[in-house]
Amino acid sequence: MNRLVWLNRLRWVVLSSVMLLLILIPFLHLYQTYEAAHAYDLLTPGEKFIADSMETLTKPFVTDPAEDLNGLKGTTWSGKLFGLALSDPLSVVGQSAAGKTLYWPFIVTALIPVLLTVVFGRFFCGWICPATLLYELNDNLGAWLRRAGLPVSRRRLDRRLKYLVLAAGVVLSLFSGAVLFAAIYPPAIIGREIYYAIAVGGFGVGIVFFLLTLLFDLMVARRGFCRYVCPGGALYSLLGHFRLLRIQRKVTHCNDCAKCNVVCQFGLDPWHDDFGQECNNCTACIAVCPTDALKFEWRRFDAAFQGPGHLGHEYKKQ
Amino acid sequence: MQRRQFIQSLAVAGLSSLVSTETRAARSQPTLRFLRPPGALTESEFESRCIRCGQCGEVCPNRCINFFATENGLGSIDTPYIIPREQACILCMKCGEVCPSGALQKITREAGEIIHRVNMGKARVDEQLCLSFQGKTCGVCYRACPLQDIAIRTGMLEQPHVTEACVGCGLCERSCIQIPQAIRIIPQQTREGLS
Repeated sequence: MNRLVWLNRLRWVVLSSVMLLLILIPFLHLYQTYEAAHAYDLLTPGEKFIADSMETLTKPFVTDPAEDLNGLKGTTWSGKLFGLALSDPLSVVGQSAAGKTLYWPFIVTALIPVLLTVVFGRFFCGWICPATLLYELNDNLGAWLRRAGLPVSRRRLDRRLKYLVLAAGVVLSLFSGAVLFAAIYPPAIIGREIYYAIAVGGFGVGIVFFLLTLLFDLMVARRGFCRYVCPGGALYSLLGHFRLLRIQRKVTHCNDCAKCNVVCQFGLDPWHDDFGQECNNCTACIAVCPTDALKFEWRRFDAAFQGPGHLGHEYKKQ
Repeated sequence: MQRRQFIQSLAVAGLSSLVSTETRAARSQPTLRFLRPPGALTESEFESRCIRCGQCGEVCPNRCINFFATENGLGSIDTPYIIPREQACILCMKCGEVCPSGALQKITREAGEIIHRVNMGKARVDEQLCLSFQGKTCGVCYRACPLQDIAIRTGMLEQPHVTEACVGCGLCERSCIQIPQAIRIIPQQTREGLS
């Protein structure tokens, strides 16, 4: 058993917690409105259940739910986490382009995510993004479908396509005066649609687009949207180009089994030391490695190809 | 549907999308009467500053803020709106406080500030429909108004007279007992379009 597999388990816990929070926040909002209305007796049994369960859940932490719970709002696109306002850097880029202004109170809310990305690279995509959870489950579904003999396409496109989407989005936002990224960015869509479904009364239009991206992943390219289209992924990759923390291969431990390449949903090549700015720190390669050859390391640049693994046949032949 | 008809309808849809946004907005105004939440910037500015995060709706204690699908054009998808007859704004000013992007301005919850800076629209009384103007004393709108005697005054038989101080929260329209309602908010973006 691999010693570092807990990293990937921890990642699943974080991803699930983010998703649970996104589901919890609309229910807390409903509870707040029930409290504000002072009309518990008029609630339907279903609404009473929501009010009761949310009350039990939050009672130890709040005195006045109508006010105190305002510190927990929004989504990963932009929201308040225990009073701290955080925004996706893409929302800031999109809004600055669409509004043709720099609104500083908003820009500072993206500061923490940007700093974390500069250090850890594209970690948002692997550890926070609520769409990632669904895309990874979708990828598992794809694997089952493949095993069942259905044609699940794994085409390779050009990774640089997403940078084009990012640039085109900025230009189109400039001309149209609307934050277009909000309509095509899966984490923004997911957060919003969960809220719509729970508290507003039904999904909005974004869910159609998201379902299409799931189909795209199954029918065109593995994790295709994140790898080739997502403008947020592109922005995070660029911000994390000089990331300080990188997954690296220890050539002395590697046995050339190539499991890492198979498991990498982003189609990277850990076996040949190719990580780059695209790696989202998902740690699947670390978890699958039978010899613990893959590890996080603090370094500015990826190592160049270090040759075949020292535990593999090819190296022994030499 | 015949293939030809289908292609024709596609062509019509394609052509109509080329019509300028102003024309389309003008055309849609009579049917789509909505308010932006209090403290919203002017319509075009609002659409470019709003990042569609939905927090204004999540913080609204009165659940009056709803979100557009495609009804108001592609530029308005997922932006917040209020239909006052369904649920009106209680001027709690929480949406402006939570808005991260400045599309809704932060306004303190004081009468002076609200009258000065909130501009969702203005109420207009249809005297043909209003009970008080038909000789049946009513006065419900006056009593629903959060800015009584400032935004709305009553005359003989409780006949309502809206003043320039009206901020357009819509509580009068929500409460009007006539069907259809005799007092309506003319939204700010419509007023801008008319002037």
